[in-house]
Amino acid sequence: MKYMIMMFGGLGAATQNRSPEWIAGMHELLMKLDTELKESGECLASDALADPSQARTVRFVNGAPVPTDGPFAEVKESLAGYWILDVDEERALQIAAQVVGYTEFPMEVRRIMDHSAQP
Amino acid sequence: MTGREQIDGVLREFAPQVLATLVRRYGQFDACEDAVQEALLAATVQWPGQGVPKQPRAWLLTVATRALIDEWRADSARRRRETAAALDAPGYAPAADLADDHPGDDRDDTLALLFLCCHPALSPPSQLALTLRAVGGLTTAQIAAAFLVPEATIARRIVRAKQRIRDAGARFELPAQPQRTERLGVVLHALYLIFNEGYTTSSGSALQRTDLTAEAIRLTRLLHRLLPGEAEVAGLLALMLLTDARRAGRTDPDGRIVPLAEQQRDKWDAAGIVEGQAILTRNLGSGPVGPYQLQAAIAALHDEAPTAEATDWPQILALYDVLTTIAPGPVVTLSRAVALAHVHGPRAGLAILGTLDTDQRMAHTHRLEAVRAHLLEQAGDTAAARDSYLQAARMTASLPEQRYLQLRAARLRSGGPPGGSG
Repeated sequence: MKYMIMMFGGLGAATQNRSPEWIAGMHELLMKLDTELKESGECLASDALADPSQARTVRFVNGAPVPTDGPFAEVKESLAGYWILDVDEERALQIAAQVVGYTEFPMEVRRIMDHSAQP
Repeated sequence: MTGREQIDGVLREFAPQVLATLVRRYGQFDACEDAVQEALLAATVQWPGQGVPKQPRAWLLTVATRALIDEWRADSARRRRETAAALDAPGYAPAADLADDHPGDDRDDTLALLFLCCHPALSPPSQLALTLRAVGGLTTAQIAAAFLVPEATIARRIVRAKQRIRDAGARFELPAQPQRTERLGVVLHALYLIFNEGYTTSSGSALQRTDLTAEAIRLTRLLHRLLPGEAEVAGLLALMLLTDARRAGRTDPDGRIVPLAEQQRDKWDAAGIVEGQAILTRNLGSGPVGPYQLQAAIAALHDEAPTAEATDWPQILALYDVLTTIAPGPVVTLSRAVALAHVHGPRAGLAILGTLDTDQRMAHTHRLEAVRAHLLEQAGDTAAARDSYLQAARMTASLPEQRYLQLRAARLRSGGPPGGSG
């Protein structure tokens, strides 16, 4: 089974009032976890997205697609980064819990749809 | 059994020579380039077990020729088309003496290949990929690993690049003056981009990557050997060596960025610094002074300083003044502002930065805001510095840079007044 763990833009805003030690600790946790998941073969892909303030949204305006500044969702709800994991649900939840335990900021765990026809 | 590095070294030395020989014999740069790539792959598979052949160049030439002929025979309709194209294309006229290997012309051949791969009709990413494959002797897989993109992406990029070269009617020959100087500028820029690609992404990654900085230095070294009289080629080589020498100091053991002023200078590569200085000294003044020589001279001043405090900033500022007159641009202005701040104080630097605020070329980079943040911090304006660091952190697309900028901002918050808008 494949799962996607998502973190959201609100995390970046929440770190602004933390201490340098706390922020360094978070960076360390994320990098260490990322390395471990890649080395164990559980992580298929992972990336962080650039800040939502840099995002553009293509909207359908007056009958034509038009690029506009800013993200579609509110900044705190916009996707900031993700892991795609080849694990069962229990393990995916356990991984997300490791990060949330430190950041105290929610993460979403979603099953990725299967391409095969088997139930 | 033969070592991986030894095989790579042999392949990279002979790949451009074998390709040039094939192009001279048969025309058709794109088909020949594919054939050489097949020969390289065959060598990668066979040589580790069987050892490097006694005449690796002849081995590669034989295998590549066979691959080329197999390809032509594979489809007779296509063969007729290809043969017609080979005879018709003005740029690909086969050499008169088909049997001669032209070993004495390797110098011009390799140069002609470099000029062809860095043809102005190609986009920079295509120039880089094609140069690394045709001149550098790297496989598509190695190039893909170096740029962290899928192999299919690089393969398609190379196919398109060769198509464009064909469409542009580019010739396998050395461009004549005055185009040659201009075309050399494109070649140097492509090599510089390869170097930067490797240098800026080298921080803190445990992934297996082909070392692009080393490959850029190797190719520039080769170009310098082929064109020893070109001062800017020497300048670029010196710039790469003097910059790469600081690589080990740029990140801490956890992969975090360490700014120049805080780097442990005993981690710098002394041999690289000495070599870069020697090349620079030997060539300065041998031709018109260009931007690469000036940037190399600036890099040398940083490398020579035993401590950050001992840096000769007035001399660096003087060099940026010259650079501003011969190759002006927003990035030069930004760097000059830093030098100016060191010589005349942070407020003087900040005043120069103000002139960049309306420059559209700086609108999508975090660098202006990052430099402003540092200068504001030096000037003691903690609150404004923190805002600038956070703004720069939002703008950058580099994860290590973002982490560095967030930490700088957080440090100011804990040192400065409590509270803040968050």
